[in-house]
Amino acid sequence: MSKTKIDRRNFLKVLGLGSAGAALAGCDMPSYVTSDEGKENIYSYLAPEEYVIPGIGVWYASTCQQCPASCGVHGRVREGRVLKLEGNPDASVNKGKICQMGQAAIQGHFHPERIENPLINGQKATWDEALALVAKKSGGAAWLTGAMSGHQRVLIDAHRTAGGNARHYAVEVVNARPWEDASLATLGDANPNLHIDKARAVLAVGADFLGTWGNPVKSMRDYGNFRSAPRGVLMSIEPAMSMTGANSDIWVTARPGSEAAVLMGVGHILTTKHGVSVADMPSAALAFADMTPTKVLGLSDVKEEQLAKIADTLMANSPSLILANANHDTAKVAQVLNMMLGNVGQTLTPSAAITAEALLPVTGSSKDLVEFAMDAKAGKISSVFISGTNPVFLAPSKLDMAGALAKVGFKVAIADFHDETTTACDVVLPASSALEAWGTHVPVDGSDAGEVYIQQPLMENVHANTRGLGDILLAVAKGAGVDGLAEFEDYYGYLRTAVSALIGSDLEGDWNSILQKGKAVTAVNHSNFNAGGDVALGFSEPAAKAGTLTLITSARQGLFDGRHANLPWLQEAPDQISKAVWDSWAEIHPKTAAKIGAKDGDYITITSANGSITTRVFIYKGIHQDAISVPMGRGHTNYGLYAKNGVNPLSLLDASSGDRQTTELLNSGVSVTVKPTGDNRHLVRLMDVDSQHGRKLAATITADQFDRNQGGA
Amino acid sequence: MPSLLGNVFKGWSDYSKGIEQGGNQKYEHMFSMSIDLDKCTGCNACSTACYAENNLAWVGEYKFASRQSMHWMRIERYFDEPDVGSSDPESLDRGASFLPMMCQQCNAAPCEPVCPVAATYHTVDALNAQVYNRCIGSRYCANNCPFRVRYFNFYDNAPTAWPAPMDQGLNPDLSVRSKGVMEKCTFCIQRIRGANETAKREGRELKDGDIVTACQQTCPTSAIVFGDLLDKTSEISKIWKRQQVKLGTYKQEKENKDLRGYRIFEELNIEPKVLYLERVREV
Amino acid sequence: MSENHQHLTNEQVKDIDENIAWAKINNDVLNSMKNPRKGYWVALVLSALLFGVMIYAEVYQYRNGMGETLLNTSHMWDLYISSFVFWIGMSHSGTLLSAILHLVHADWRKPIYRFAEAMTTFSLLTAGLFPVIHLGRVWNFYWVMPYMSDRGIWPNFRSPLIWDAFAITSYLTSSVLFLYIGMIPDLAICRDNTTGWRKTLYTFLSLGWRGDDRQWRHFRFTYLMIACFLIPLAVSVHSIVSMDFAMAIMPGWHVTTFPPYFVAGALYSGCAAIITLFVLLRYFFKFEEYMTMPILDKVCKLTFVIAMVWTYLNLIEFSAVWYGHDIPSKEVLIAKATGPYSIFFWGMMFFGSVLPFSLLSKAVRRNMKIMFFISIFLNVGMFLERWMIVTPTLSMGYHPQGFNVMWPGWVEWAMVGGSFGWFGLLFLVFVKVFPCVSMYEVKEMVYHRKRTTYADVDEMMELHSGVPGPEAQTQQSGGA
Repeated sequence: MSKTKIDRRNFLKVLGLGSAGAALAGCDMPSYVTSDEGKENIYSYLAPEEYVIPGIGVWYASTCQQCPASCGVHGRVREGRVLKLEGNPDASVNKGKICQMGQAAIQGHFHPERIENPLINGQKATWDEALALVAKKSGGAAWLTGAMSGHQRVLIDAHRTAGGNARHYAVEVVNARPWEDASLATLGDANPNLHIDKARAVLAVGADFLGTWGNPVKSMRDYGNFRSAPRGVLMSIEPAMSMTGANSDIWVTARPGSEAAVLMGVGHILTTKHGVSVADMPSAALAFADMTPTKVLGLSDVKEEQLAKIADTLMANSPSLILANANHDTAKVAQVLNMMLGNVGQTLTPSAAITAEALLPVTGSSKDLVEFAMDAKAGKISSVFISGTNPVFLAPSKLDMAGALAKVGFKVAIADFHDETTTACDVVLPASSALEAWGTHVPVDGSDAGEVYIQQPLMENVHANTRGLGDILLAVAKGAGVDGLAEFEDYYGYLRTAVSALIGSDLEGDWNSILQKGKAVTAVNHSNFNAGGDVALGFSEPAAKAGTLTLITSARQGLFDGRHANLPWLQEAPDQISKAVWDSWAEIHPKTAAKIGAKDGDYITITSANGSITTRVFIYKGIHQDAISVPMGRGHTNYGLYAKNGVNPLSLLDASSGDRQTTELLNSGVSVTVKPTGDNRHLVRLMDVDSQHGRKLAATITADQFDRNQGGA
Repeated sequence: MPSLLGNVFKGWSDYSKGIEQGGNQKYEHMFSMSIDLDKCTGCNACSTACYAENNLAWVGEYKFASRQSMHWMRIERYFDEPDVGSSDPESLDRGASFLPMMCQQCNAAPCEPVCPVAATYHTVDALNAQVYNRCIGSRYCANNCPFRVRYFNFYDNAPTAWPAPMDQGLNPDLSVRSKGVMEKCTFCIQRIRGANETAKREGRELKDGDIVTACQQTCPTSAIVFGDLLDKTSEISKIWKRQQVKLGTYKQEKENKDLRGYRIFEELNIEPKVLYLERVREV
Repeated sequence: MSENHQHLTNEQVKDIDENIAWAKINNDVLNSMKNPRKGYWVALVLSALLFGVMIYAEVYQYRNGMGETLLNTSHMWDLYISSFVFWIGMSHSGTLLSAILHLVHADWRKPIYRFAEAMTTFSLLTAGLFPVIHLGRVWNFYWVMPYMSDRGIWPNFRSPLIWDAFAITSYLTSSVLFLYIGMIPDLAICRDNTTGWRKTLYTFLSLGWRGDDRQWRHFRFTYLMIACFLIPLAVSVHSIVSMDFAMAIMPGWHVTTFPPYFVAGALYSGCAAIITLFVLLRYFFKFEEYMTMPILDKVCKLTFVIAMVWTYLNLIEFSAVWYGHDIPSKEVLIAKATGPYSIFFWGMMFFGSVLPFSLLSKAVRRNMKIMFFISIFLNVGMFLERWMIVTPTLSMGYHPQGFNVMWPGWVEWAMVGGSFGWFGLLFLVFVKVFPCVSMYEVKEMVYHRKRTTYADVDEMMELHSGVPGPEAQTQQSGGA
C-alpha cells in the first residue's frame, strides 16, 4: 500500500460560496456573502460529484479537538462546506452529544484570523523553505504540546527518538493530575472508569466533572441518567461554585485548600457515627480519628451538621462515588472513602486501555509547563516544536516564559491562530483546523470499548496553504530522517496503513465503515485494581494570612483555558455561574465585598507577590469569604480581534506553591490583596436579576415531595 | 345568506372546541417540548448549537450591554430558593436553578393577534411562525410576549457577525435576517420541513424521532425532549400525559402532587407548549 | 348691594363686545395674514431647522438600524409611541371645541375654534409620522393599508395597530373636511379682499360661495352633520389608540379603563394646547377683542373639569391595581411611584392633578402670562403621562429577565423635538395663509349677542357698576 489515490478528495472540491448565495432566502441578500463586494455569483451543478445532491446535507464522522476530551462528532456538509457539528452517536464516549465548545468549532474553522501561510521570522515563506529550515535547525528538538494521543503522538515519539530522545512536554493547566496521581497511588490505576450513572450519590470535591474535568460530555450524559429514576443525589464541596456545584443538591463551601480536611471530617463521621470499617487501612483510620469536626470547623469553616449530612447521604445512598481533584491529598482521601464505602468495583471500575500503547494519550499537566520553563532557562533545550498549547499565555508571570523561550535556539510553532506564543517563535507552520485534517485520537475517558477515533477532513481546506497537523508531523519526521515514512505521500496514506496494522485487517472493505462510524475498534488490556493496602493520608493547613484572600483560577466550560477566547460565540455565551459575557470578573462574597468596600461593577486590583490584575467584581454568595475567584480564559494580549477584553489570573500564580504533591498550578493557594480602584462600570451580563421575583419560573421541589423512584419524566 | 350564517356558527363551534383542545385550528401536528430542569446542568451547549444552526448573529459587548443581543435560547440562572429550605443564608447551599428559555410556541400566543401585518401566525403544526419577509418591525409582538423571547434585529449584524470566510458556515436552510425584522426560536422549523420532505420522499408518515431540534440534539444530559403531541406514541405526548398537564386549561388537576410538570405563565391563558419538569433538591 | 364691589368693565363680563363692526372683524383677521414680522420668519426658520433635525435623525436611524435609538429587547417601544399618543391626544382639542361645543350651542367657541381645528389637523399629521418612524422596516409601511396586493395578503385586522391606521386615517380625513368646509365662507371673504396668488388660491378653494340663503342652509346642515359624525369618531380614535395598550397582556397596560382614560387625557391636553395657542395668537395678532378674557375664563374652567375627570380615571386605575391580585401590575405601579422613573411619575401627578387647581383662581385665569406657562406645564404633565404609560411597564413585566431601565437617546429626542418643529411649521404657514379666526362665525356671535339679553349679565352690570344694562341703553339710544 504505497501510493494511495484519494478518490474522496475529488468530490470534496468545493465551489464554495455559490450555493450559499443561491440558497439564501430572505428579505435581503447581503453582498458580503460573496467573495467580491457587490457581485453575486450563482453556480449550477451541471455535473456534480456523485455524493453531492445540492440541498441535501451529507454527514461525515470526525473527532472534535476543542478540548483534550476528543469526543466523536458528525459534521453536516452542504455543497462542500461543513456547517454544523453534532455528536457522533457511534462514539461510545459522548454518544451523539457535544458541548458548546464543540458547537463553536465551526467558528474557529472559518475564522478570518487564521494563519494562511508559513512564516519565517514573521515573513511569509513557502512550505519548502520553512520545512528545509526546520529540518536543518531542529535536531534534537523537544516537543511542547497540549494533551494528545493517537498516531500524531507516534510521529512525535518517532521524531524524538531519531533526534536523541528529547522530552515531550505536555501542557494542560486544566487537568485531572491530582486525581490521576492519587488513583494510581491507591488503586493502581490512574484513570479508573467512573460510573456516575450507576451511583446513587456523588460527592464532588473540587472536581467540576460537569464542566471541565475529564470528558464533561460523557459525564453529563451519565449525569442525565444519574438523575433519572431512581434519582441520585449530588453533593459538592468547593471554595467557589462551579457548574457541578450549581447543580448540586447540597453545596458546601470550604476554605480554599482545606478540602482534604473536610473529606477527612466526613470520614471521621463515617467511621464514628456510622461504623464504617477502615480496618485494613490503619493510617487512614488514625487520620480520620484525628480529624474531629471541631478541627474541621477551624480549618475549613465547614460545620459538623454539614459533614454529618454528607456522611448520612453517602450511607443512605449506595453505591456512591466520591470524586476529588482539589489537590492530591484530597483525591487520596476520596479514594480511601470510595474503598471504605464499597464503591470500588461498582461505580469505580478498572480502566481498559488499548493494547497499542504508543497511541495512548499523554494527558498534560502544568508541571510540564513549569519544567519546560526551568529546562529552557537552564539552557537544556536547543530547539522546540510547540503545537496545541499557548505556554506564554498560560505560564505565571513569575515563570518568565518569554525569557525562557528566548533561551531556546530555534522555535517552531504549528498553529492555526496567531497567539502570544507563535509571535515568539522563529518558524510558524500554519495548521489546518481540526475540521479539515486527518488524525486518530484515543479518548481519555474511553470506556472498555477499545475505540480509536478517526478525525477526517469534513471539507477541503478553507485556506489553500495550510496543512493538517498530521501532514506537518509527517513532513517534519521525514525531514529529520525517521525511517519508514518515505513511502507515504501524506498523512492520509500513513494513517490508512497504520490503522490497518492497528486493527489487523486489510482495510479495503473496512476503511469505509471505519470512516462512517468515525472509529476503529481494537484490542484492549483489562487491568485490575491494586489488592489494597494502607494509605497514608495527609493534609496541609491552608495558609491564611490576615488581610488576604486566596485566589482561585477557575476553568469554565466555554473559554476553557483561554484557547477559545478568539471565538465570538463562546465569548458571547454567558458564563454558567455569573452570566457575564465578553469580559472577566472576580467573584467575591458579599461580606468580603463589604470589607473591602466594593459594590457591583467596581473595579478592583488583585495583587499577588507576582503581579496584579484589575477587573470588576461579581458579588454573590456562592464563594467562601476568604476566597476570590477569577475565571481563566481572557486577558490575551495577542489573540486577535475578539480576544481583547479581560484579565489573565494565571499570571498571578506562583509555581512554587502549587499542590504539594503534584505541583499542579491550578490548585495553588496564592494569597492576594484586593483593593477597589474607584472605577465602576456595570458588568455586562445576560441577566441582572438573580431572583425569580416570586414567579414560578425555574421551580424546585424538595425530595420529600418527590418520590425518587417515581421517575417524573 | 344561509351559508354565511352557517359559516359563522360553524366557525364559532370550531373555535370553542379548539379552545378546549388547545388551539382554534385543525392541527396536523402539534410540536411541543419538555425540558427536565433536574437534568439541565446549565452548560450552554443548546444555546451555542442554536447560534450555529439558525444563523444567529453575535453582537459584541457594547450591543449586548445595550440588551440588543439575539440569543433565541438563553439559559437563565437563579439563586433564590423559595420552596426549598436553605439552611445557610450566607451561602448558596442548594446550588442554582437553570432555566432554558425560548419561544414557548403558545397555542393562544399573545404575539399573534397584535402584529399589524400578520407576520406571525399559527401554523398547522401548531408552531408560532415568524415570517421575516412580512415583518415591518412594529415590535408589538415583542411587547406582548410575557416570556420576552422575541428578539429584534436592531442592526444589520451580519457584516460583523460573519466576516469572510465565516459566512461560509452559514446554514443555507434559512435566511440571514436584515435589520428591522423580528425573530425568535422556531423549533428549528427548517429541520421540521426537511423531515417532512424526507418522509414524503420516502412515502411514509413522520414518526417520532424524525425531527430533532438543534438544542435537543446537542443537550448532553438529554434534558430536552421534542415531538408531536398529536402522535400518541411519541415520547413527548407520553411525558405530557404522565405529568397530567393538559392543553386548553390553566388549572391543571393532577391526582399526584409529586408530578413535576408545569408550564410557565400558563395562568395568562396563553397555552405555552413547553413543559418544564421541576428541579428536585434533596434537603 | 355689596360694599366691596369691583368696577367691572364690559370686557371683563361679556364674551364679546356686541358693537364690533363687520368690516372691523374682516380687517382684523385679514391683516393678521399679511405682513409677517421679523419674529414670524425667525419662528418659521427655527421650526424648519427643528424639523431638519428630525429628518437627519430619521436618515441616521434608517441607515444604521433602530438600535441607534437605544431601544432593546425589553423596551421595544419608547418615546416614539409616547409622542404618537401625545399628538393624537392634542388633536382632540379641535373636535371638542368645534364639534362638541357646537352641538351644545356654546357660542363662545366661535372666535377660537378655527385655530383649534387647525391644531387638530396638524396634530394628526404630526402623529401620523410616528407609526411610520418607529417601524424597523420603514420602507414597507404601506403594508398596513388594505390594498389588493398580488400576494393576496391583507393586513391583520385583529391588530390594534391596524385599527389605529384606520381610525387615524378616517379621523384625519374627517377633520380636514370639517376644517375646510367650515372655512368656505371665510375663504370667500378672503377671495373678495385679496389680490394676486392669494386671490387665485381662495377663489379655487371657496368653490364659488356667494353667501345666498340656499347655500347657507346647505352649509349649516352639512356642518352639523359632520360635527355629529366627528364626535363619536374622535372618541373612538383615542379609544382605539388606547387599545394599543389595553389589548396587550402586559401588566400596567391591560386595563379596561384605558379608553375613557385616554380620551379624557386627550381632551385635557387639547384644552391646554388651546390655551397656549390662545395666548400666543391673541398677543401676536392683537385679537383682544375676539379672544376675550371671559372666553379664556371659560376654556380654563373646561380644562379644570376635564383635568378632574382625568384625575379621577387615573386614580381608579391605581386603586383597581392596588386592591387587586395581579402582582406584576402592582409591581409596575410601585415601580412607577418609587422606582427609577418615579420623578417623572410624580411630575405627571403634580402637573396633571395638582396644577389644574390653580385654575380655580380667577386671578390666575385672567392672567395671560401665567396661563401661558400653566398650559405648557399641563401639557408637559400629559406628555409625561404618555411616557409613564409606555415605559415602566416595559421596564418590568412578567419575566424578571426583562427587567431593565432604559433612557431614551439623542435619536429619539431629536425625533420628538423635530415633531414640534413640523407642527410649528404647519401651523405657522396656516396662520398666514388661512384665517385663524372664523370671521363669519364671530359676526354671528356678535349678532346674536346683540339680539339676546342675558338677564344675569344685566343684573351684574347694574349691581356693580351702576350703569343701566344694555336693554336700558338700547331703549335709550333707540336701537342699534
